[in-house]
Amino acid sequence: MTSTREMFSRARIPYGTWGSSFFPAWQTSALAEVNIGQFAGEAMNRILSLRKVPTTSLDYLILGSTIPWHWKFWTAPMIASCVDHRIPGFHLEQACATGLQAVIVAASEVHSNANDVVGVLTFDRTSDSPVGVFPERRAHERTMALADVWDNLGFDPATGNAMLSCAGFAARKHKTDRREVDELTMYRYEQYFNAKDSGLLDNVLVPLEVLNVQGKPLGMIDSDKGVRKLTYDMLQVMPELDDCVTGGTQTHASDGMATLLVTTKEKAQELSSRPEIDISFVGKTEMRTYPSLMQESPAMAVQKLLKKTGLTMDDMTVVKNHNPFAVNDVIFSKLLNYDWHKINNTGCPLVWGHPQGPTLTRVIIEALEEAVALGGGYVLIFGCAAGDVGIAAILKVTDGAK
Amino acid sequence: MKTLRQPTLDTFGLGNVLDIFKNGKLPVNADSLVDTIFGDSSNRGAIVISGANGIVGAGKTMQLGSRLQKYNIPIIALDFPGAPDGIGMQYQGLKGSFGQKQADEIMANVIRFNYDGKKLPSQLKDFNPRFLLEAIPEILDIKKNHYKVFRETFPGIAIRSVTSGFPSSELGVGIAHPAFPHQINKMWETVEDTPSDITKLLWAVGLIPVPVSDHWSFVLDVLFCGLMSAGLRYRQASNMPYWKIDKLIRKLLGPNPFRAHDAIGAKGANFLTWSCLYHLSETYGNLFKPTFDLEYRKESGQNWYPLNHFRPVVNWTLSDDELDEMNKWILGPMIQMTSLMLHENRGHLSHINAICEICAQFRSGILATIRQLGTEKSIKLVEEYHKLDPQSASSCWYPEVFEKINDPEWQQLYVNAEHDGSVGLITINRESYNKDVDIELNCAINWLKSENIERVILSGDFHFSTQLVGADTSDFYPALEDADKGYDISLNWSTTARRLHDEFKVSVGFLNGKRCLGGMLELMMHCHYLIATNDCQVGMPEVTLPVIPGMEGCHWSFRKAKKEDWSKISDLLFTGQAVKASGAVGWLIDFAGTEEDAIKMAWKTASGDNHGLTKR
Repeated sequence: MTSTREMFSRARIPYGTWGSSFFPAWQTSALAEVNIGQFAGEAMNRILSLRKVPTTSLDYLILGSTIPWHWKFWTAPMIASCVDHRIPGFHLEQACATGLQAVIVAASEVHSNANDVVGVLTFDRTSDSPVGVFPERRAHERTMALADVWDNLGFDPATGNAMLSCAGFAARKHKTDRREVDELTMYRYEQYFNAKDSGLLDNVLVPLEVLNVQGKPLGMIDSDKGVRKLTYDMLQVMPELDDCVTGGTQTHASDGMATLLVTTKEKAQELSSRPEIDISFVGKTEMRTYPSLMQESPAMAVQKLLKKTGLTMDDMTVVKNHNPFAVNDVIFSKLLNYDWHKINNTGCPLVWGHPQGPTLTRVIIEALEEAVALGGGYVLIFGCAAGDVGIAAILKVTDGAK
Repeated sequence: MKTLRQPTLDTFGLGNVLDIFKNGKLPVNADSLVDTIFGDSSNRGAIVISGANGIVGAGKTMQLGSRLQKYNIPIIALDFPGAPDGIGMQYQGLKGSFGQKQADEIMANVIRFNYDGKKLPSQLKDFNPRFLLEAIPEILDIKKNHYKVFRETFPGIAIRSVTSGFPSSELGVGIAHPAFPHQINKMWETVEDTPSDITKLLWAVGLIPVPVSDHWSFVLDVLFCGLMSAGLRYRQASNMPYWKIDKLIRKLLGPNPFRAHDAIGAKGANFLTWSCLYHLSETYGNLFKPTFDLEYRKESGQNWYPLNHFRPVVNWTLSDDELDEMNKWILGPMIQMTSLMLHENRGHLSHINAICEICAQFRSGILATIRQLGTEKSIKLVEEYHKLDPQSASSCWYPEVFEKINDPEWQQLYVNAEHDGSVGLITINRESYNKDVDIELNCAINWLKSENIERVILSGDFHFSTQLVGADTSDFYPALEDADKGYDISLNWSTTARRLHDEFKVSVGFLNGKRCLGGMLELMMHCHYLIATNDCQVGMPEVTLPVIPGMEGCHWSFRKAKKEDWSKISDLLFTGQAVKASGAVGWLIDFAGTEEDAIKMAWKTASGDNHGLTKR
């Protein structure tokens, strides 16, 4: 393992204090009926309870979400009230990079000694997203109405292109093969179902019951509803929406939340059920590629990060990414010369969905669980985000008992 | 005279219940007590309620105003000029209970005065105040100064404080601590050197005085605030939201401590609970130390339940292990606090248990709960709680008090028995019949049989059971899922009831109070004779629930009635409507009269004197 510098040397992620809801596909669960901010706050409280972490140990809260929710103006203090602990905090968003960016910002809060225990809470509800009305007198429409999820995914104002078109552009540029994309997709599904069967995801995903206004059960959020077992034949016959992009080789919209804590080394040992596990930050970077080539940007961000840290892909124990399109992984494999079979061992957003804000947080949590199960090592997390941006970070897991 | 355990009336100087029957009258009556305390009708003095617009003051102004109305005792309601109109807010409820005419008459007798907290209004003298019920804020110096002002102006005035927490020895006055909801809850915890006429008057007008010892916070507040404290500590340990803790405590024990604070008014209730816990912790240590969130909310007055637009979204479904841990967090401190109260002899055990049920809304009183758990398990629960919350282990834990759990005081919490060598009396002091009452009733019958008593009166206790409402429906819950359990309840309770008929030469059921319904009426009708006060409502409302009378009410009542009266019994059973006892004479009741006449008739019948009743 190559020796490298530490980023945010004061900050640690306490093992096992995290959790995520399942991510049911949009419009399929009780999450379509709730204020997702309130749900996320209450769910975080429940998850921390299951992890034996008193909410009173938190002193700051960083929210990450991309779709407006009711009373968003009141930002983290309001959600902290739903966690049942009145602390300050703020809200950030960076499209699908939100789930990683929020963790990095939390680490900077701890490292700068501004706060000692920072909760990261990311969430989004793609179901029934709000419609924004923008009075803009210079536009020919005079007033524009924007459906927050679909109108955004379908139109990058800087390029005029949809996300899906970007995938097609990138596939063409990198000459990806439809057959390889389908094979990769099949493999990703196998990875997900194998991880589920192994029980590893039980440490990540928390079943939660949603109540209606009368306090009666409205529904259980206890599966990534909408994920079905695909066959290669099914994938092959799906029509292409753009080059190498079919209904099967892209993700789907979903709802959910995910949470973890960032704190000091000492406090991490106090809060964690396994104090011998140390999780530190090594580095993070972002890249923006040429217009409408978003799917190649994560690979470029990883290249930049490896250069900065002096690490190589061979140093990585776990590699995991946010891959809304299967072509992301094929392109990454080509550019980094890295076997895509070694990525996303426990599942990925291509399979379990795309609720935007919490997506990369769940990726991080799954990756850290996998790294701990493997005895520690470097963990590479990366993904793409709106604006042709790629984000990447490396964490280091050390098992003191080994 | 022998008693199974001390009758509760005896704790405030009213002797035993059997003497009421033997003497043919109640031990005291309100008319003469009013004359003694307030002067005769030509020179009637007034009662002053200070802090009358507060939650306690306004409630007690209504309760005492309605009960003392016929004696023309002016009710002086005293408060600060800017106080919100708490008394005015009572009017709608008063109308609902008494009708507009009587409500107007009660309100007309309430005379409101403002004062500045330093000098009493000069016109107050015109009303000749004889009794001050102080219901001002829980601040010791202000209270003491208040008494001083009154004593200087009206020497000899009797004073009682409604304080929740300060002992009489600190205040320098007696205590009459009432329970929420103050308009209708009849119970008052009293602290005084010797039983006073005021306490006896409370009893004589149908209220329930309960003598307790002079310690920081009285029994109700140790239980009520203690349960809140237990919930708050569990919250710290588990993160569980208050609303969910509230629901689980309700399921476990019966009360909703957090909802109760919100319902009473969180601003005042949070402060009172904090005040009680703070003073208890100063005396008894960390077991009672207020949690930080109570400290905060005593200032903010914030409700414990979320606002309407934030009704909870995520449920907390607990595993068996989590539920087990919660039980330790809640039951552990409650048992420990009870050990303290027993160690300090804070009250008659039936009192402590009844306060728990009548005022703190426990389904089963804390002593009955501990009795059910048994000594060993109760002690173990506290020890396991101490492992979870070590700060509570350092103070006031007296496990030795549970060594007496087999004594009659512990075993007869709800049912007592007395006899004079010839006539026995069984008294029930719980308004609803449950498994505990059933067991204790059998013990009482066994004891009388062992004393060779063949004549018996079955009655309420003239203290707690101001009415007998029937079976405790919470005992039916197991039967909802298992019909055999329902059959067992019906069989066991009917078997007990038949003992009244089969094992005594003469048994007399005595019905007084507001009503005798359902299971309690079925129990009573097994006696050879039923004697009642005229206005006592009798009925079998089971059909309205809907259940079927299961203690033989469907056939025992017919068996004892003439065929031509069966339609009246059918009416009772099929409509659930109650009738006055005076209207049921001959087919359900054997004699109905005034309370004194009924008492005399019950004694004559039980003692074998010439009573003239025909056994049905």
